[in-house]
Amino acid sequence: MADCIARVMDFTLCLTQRSRMVDSKRMRMTSNFQWPLLTFILLYLMNQVNSQKKGAPHDLKCITNNLQVWDCSWKAPSGAGHGTFYEVCIENGSYSCYPSEKTNIKIPALSPGDHEVVISPLRDFGSSISKFILSEKNVSLIPDTPEILNLSADFPTSTLHLKWSDRGSVLPRHSNVIWEIKILRKKNMEIVKSVTHNTTLNGKDTVHHWSWTSDMPLECATHYVGIRCYVDDTHFSGHKEWSDWSQLKNVSWSPDSQTKVFPQDKVILVGSDVIVCCVTRDNVSSAQIGLTKCPLIHLDGKNVAIKIHNISVSASSGTNVVFTTEDNIYGTVLFAGYPPDIPQKLNCETYDLKEIVCSWNPGRPTALVGPRVTSYTLFESFSGKNVRFKRTEASTNESHQLFFQMLPNQEIYNFTLNAHNPLGQSESMILVNITEKVYPHSPTSVKVKDVNSTAVTLSWRLPGNFAKIKFLCQIEINKTNSIQELRNVTIKGVENSSYLVAVDKLNPYTIYTFRIRCSTETFWKWSKWSNEKQYLTTEAIPSKGPDTWREWSSDGKNLIIYWKPLPVNEANGKILSYNVSCSSDEETQSLSEIPDPQHKAELQLDKNDYIISVVAKNSVGSSPPSKIASMEIPNDDLKIEQAVGMGNGIPLTWNYDPNMTCDYVIKWCNSSRSEPCLMDWKKVPSNSTATVIESDQFRPGVRYHFFLYGCRNQGYQLLRSIIGYIEELAPIVAPNFTVEDTSADSILVKWEDIPVEELRGFLRGYLFYFEKGERDTSKMRSLESGRSDVKVKNITDISQKTLRIADLQGKTSYHLVLRAYTDGGMGPEKSMFVVTKENSVGLIIAILIPVAVAIIVGVVTSILCYRKREWIKETFYPDIPNPENCKALQFQKSVCQGNSTLKTLEMNPCTPNSVEVLETRSIVPKIEDTEIISPVAEHLEDSSDAEPENHVVVSYCPPVIEEEIANPGLDEGGGTSQVIYIDIQSMYQPQAKPEEEQENDAVGGAGYKPQMHLPVTSTVEDLAADDDLEKTAGYRPQANVNTWNLVSPDSPRSTDSNSEIVSFGSPCSINSRQFLIPPKDEDSPKSNGGGWSFTNFFQNKPND
Amino acid sequence: MLACLCTVLWHLPAVPALNRTGDPGPGPSIQKTYDLTRYLEHQLRSLAGTYLNYLGPPFNEPDFNPPRLGAETLPRATVNLDVWQNLSDKLRLTQNYEAYSHLLCYLRGLNRQAATAELRRSLAHFCTSLQGLLGSIAGVMAALGYPLPQPLPGTEPTWSPDPAHSDFLQKMDDFWLLKELQTWLWRSAKDFNRLKKKMQPPAAAVTLRLEAHGF
Repeated sequence: MADCIARVMDFTLCLTQRSRMVDSKRMRMTSNFQWPLLTFILLYLMNQVNSQKKGAPHDLKCITNNLQVWDCSWKAPSGAGHGTFYEVCIENGSYSCYPSEKTNIKIPALSPGDHEVVISPLRDFGSSISKFILSEKNVSLIPDTPEILNLSADFPTSTLHLKWSDRGSVLPRHSNVIWEIKILRKKNMEIVKSVTHNTTLNGKDTVHHWSWTSDMPLECATHYVGIRCYVDDTHFSGHKEWSDWSQLKNVSWSPDSQTKVFPQDKVILVGSDVIVCCVTRDNVSSAQIGLTKCPLIHLDGKNVAIKIHNISVSASSGTNVVFTTEDNIYGTVLFAGYPPDIPQKLNCETYDLKEIVCSWNPGRPTALVGPRVTSYTLFESFSGKNVRFKRTEASTNESHQLFFQMLPNQEIYNFTLNAHNPLGQSESMILVNITEKVYPHSPTSVKVKDVNSTAVTLSWRLPGNFAKIKFLCQIEINKTNSIQELRNVTIKGVENSSYLVAVDKLNPYTIYTFRIRCSTETFWKWSKWSNEKQYLTTEAIPSKGPDTWREWSSDGKNLIIYWKPLPVNEANGKILSYNVSCSSDEETQSLSEIPDPQHKAELQLDKNDYIISVVAKNSVGSSPPSKIASMEIPNDDLKIEQAVGMGNGIPLTWNYDPNMTCDYVIKWCNSSRSEPCLMDWKKVPSNSTATVIESDQFRPGVRYHFFLYGCRNQGYQLLRSIIGYIEELAPIVAPNFTVEDTSADSILVKWEDIPVEELRGFLRGYLFYFEKGERDTSKMRSLESGRSDVKVKNITDISQKTLRIADLQGKTSYHLVLRAYTDGGMGPEKSMFVVTKENSVGLIIAILIPVAVAIIVGVVTSILCYRKREWIKETFYPDIPNPENCKALQFQKSVCQGNSTLKTLEMNPCTPNSVEVLETRSIVPKIEDTEIISPVAEHLEDSSDAEPENHVVVSYCPPVIEEEIANPGLDEGGGTSQVIYIDIQSMYQPQAKPEEEQENDAVGGAGYKPQMHLPVTSTVEDLAADDDLEKTAGYRPQANVNTWNLVSPDSPRSTDSNSEIVSFGSPCSINSRQFLIPPKDEDSPKSNGGGWSFTNFFQNKPND
Repeated sequence: MLACLCTVLWHLPAVPALNRTGDPGPGPSIQKTYDLTRYLEHQLRSLAGTYLNYLGPPFNEPDFNPPRLGAETLPRATVNLDVWQNLSDKLRLTQNYEAYSHLLCYLRGLNRQAATAELRRSLAHFCTSLQGLLGSIAGVMAALGYPLPQPLPGTEPTWSPDPAHSDFLQKMDDFWLLKELQTWLWRSAKDFNRLKKKMQPPAAAVTLRLEAHGF
């Protein structure tokens, strides 16, 4: 009993749970029916209690696979025998019962709602009836296990194709079905892919296809495929479940004996990953792509694979992948490239309206060549025609072209260009009206034909069928030395390709170059220019007569007619000859034909008025005549004017003259040429008053003469005569100048004119420079007015030919320079040196004054000498004392004789007035001042000279002298005690060895210095000598040798102020020729060093 | 005596050995053929470099030496030394002629496949040279009085890519074609050198014999 209750509870719970699972909506419905359900449970419990005796069918379970039939099954009651029959009664509006021999029964799907199901076991009396409540919610929808109809493999593309049927016919409703497909690889069934695939049932059995491309070639390993489904019927409220998995189907490659590598020759996108495997029975030792080794992935058996990540673009022969076994190598070639780029710059046009040329740029290279190269198809949608691109030479990035034959009566074309290669395809489209896209070929066979001298016809060929369109053509007309001309012409297109146009307004006898290009009237592109065609137009008669002028010959008898050759545009052909004729009132005279190169004719005319006419002729005819009158109307009122050009020409102006009825003529010639000269002429209309004369012949610095003629009553009158320069230049030569006259203070310079040819401009003046200067010194210096010492004179009066330069210094050299100048600049300079004459008065004065002064001085001196003659005599010529009076000498003589070896003078008490050493020598010393030479000195010198080695020294005897001085009678009586100091050098001059002597002095120290005679006269001197005695023993040098040396070795002066000897001895240089005056004046004992002067000379006088 | 001398002189032009003095014989043409093989050898070296680079690695690697598979139709240049030494002049020349005829056909096929214009030009140039060698060999054979081998009808060798032939195998074939061509040129140089020595005048032949004794 407890078990039964539990079972009922179970069932109820089960139902409740199921209903929850099915739908929450239904759940709410269930809760609403709680109370009736409880009542039902109670009833059920009663029923169960009644049937307790033998058990009842239980666990009713219903499933459906098609929603139309429910397959319900239950568990038989315990103890029920094999042959138990059941009656299943279902309350479904009506009450219907079904007998069943098994524990299951298929019943039609019940309507929604709860239905009572009563299962009564028959013939089994022990068993009891079971009652169940059944609704759709309790039914499970489990679709039938799907079956794979077909599994096929496309090995080259590594694609699996799966085919199965959805069995839609058994499921009446349009339900969604979810298919799950799993793909397993290798024998160990690694799942490599699991995908779901949705379909909708349509009430019929539908076969579905599904394809999958494997990343690994299918040859590498066995691939398995399984499928199951889930029917998602929204109207079914019961439980829906996945079907069972179908039976697995597999694909595998049956390898032949040969080892192979997969994929073979595969084209792949650059950057993708790819698996390459080697199906083999050998051991693969290594694998490499290009030069890179790859790790091996082991598959079933001995098969191996490698995975290549991000493959790079291949070379033209592909990328090699190689597997190496022990004794062989296997490989494959991969072609990594790109799908075709969208064709760029697709353009379609036609050259001839017969064929359309479409060109495009392929864009990015695909890196695929040979059989994998991009193929192009041009498809025209209106006509449905297409053309394929035939690959020529490997064209990588160049423009590609396709030709499409035009269709009759079709103008609009819609082209689609499709590019295709193993990696993909792309396309470009273009819609064209081909009549607007005509790019004609360049015109060919250009021909020119005459029409007349100013018109031609041009014909050319332009291949194509252009009957429906019009051309706009350009004709380029080129003429030498002229701007090119472009003429546009519109021509109707023709079928036969020949075109013809007339070109007029040409010049006769002119070479033209024509070329043509065309485009359609609805412009698209110009064709290329045709080849050039040159053509010479025919001749025409000259349009004008030649420009004429006439000149009378210098003798006035002949008239020379000049004419200019006609310009090309007026000659209209080759001028062959000229006809000249002259006519007067009475007669007309014609000359013979003058051939072309000659452009003048000479006529012998009398003074009558003639009209000369000139006619030019070419092969076509004669020009209109040019007429000119021979008459020349005189003009007295003429003066030569000057003009200077501006730029390239010389401007001329004149006043308007109404009388001048015909043209003005300006003729010109080089002024240096002799008359008549004619360089050229120019005609100016009669209403003009100015012109500019220009000519290529004009040269700067050349003087031209211009003549302006007015034309009056058929006669010419010279109106103006002008000389001028196109441009003035500086003179090229200096004026030639000479000095006409020179005085002490002025120079007259004269110069000559510079010739016109060398002047090269209008002379504006001269510049004259002058300065003091010798030829040598100022030679290098240029004379410029900037310098202060250069004087400049600007002579602007060009008629002036002389110049006097005044205020010069006499007997002075002057540098003169003269240069001319024009407006074009300064000419070169010419220089000259001139010395002015001497000033005679000054000279005379300069001579006379010194002479007069000399005379006066002489006279005064003479007077003075005369008046002071006594003093002079005493001073300069005293009486000579007699040496015989000296006793000392006698004494000394014996002494000296006794001691001949030592000739040093003994200091004996003798009082000699003077000393004379008498030795007989034949040599006479040469003494300058013979007047005042002392015989004593003479002998002294001789002795020293004769025996220098014996140190013959005449010395002093101061103590003795002192005694001698004490004898005043002698002194004063004779006055002969005075020593005359003479020029020492003059005394020693014969020896002429002062230096040796100095040396000797220096060595000996006590040697003789023969500068004097013994001082025996003055007491003052004696006193001084006395003083000196204390300092010097024996000999005393008269001068300090060192001092000489200090001052000058050549001119030693005895002016040592420190030495007391100065006052006594010789105070003067041995070189001095001056008289040495002993300082008798005590007031100035040391003033004797000043040398000789007039004052010294006269100073001795008062002492006299 | 005089009559005897005259008779001898009369019959002198009939002596074949003396009659041939003006004919240089096949020697120069053999020399030319030999020179041509050396020239082609040099030319092939440059062509093979370019072509193997075009095939890409590992074909252009110096130590790449795959087994000779799939190139069975190529005439083999390698031969047993004894066999080679015992070849008659006629057979030697015939083998050369046949080999180059085949190789030339294959080479032309190679040219048709080449993807780059530069390579095609190089191949075409080499084909022309090889054609010249073939003509030269034919000239030698004609000079020696040997008939040219006639190709059997329908057995014209072709080198068109086999649909079952993968690109890789094709590359292998190309590699072997070039290699075999090179071996043939080496062999031909030896062949013609041998022939040349054989055809040299007797004096030279003595020298050769002496050399042979030296071995």
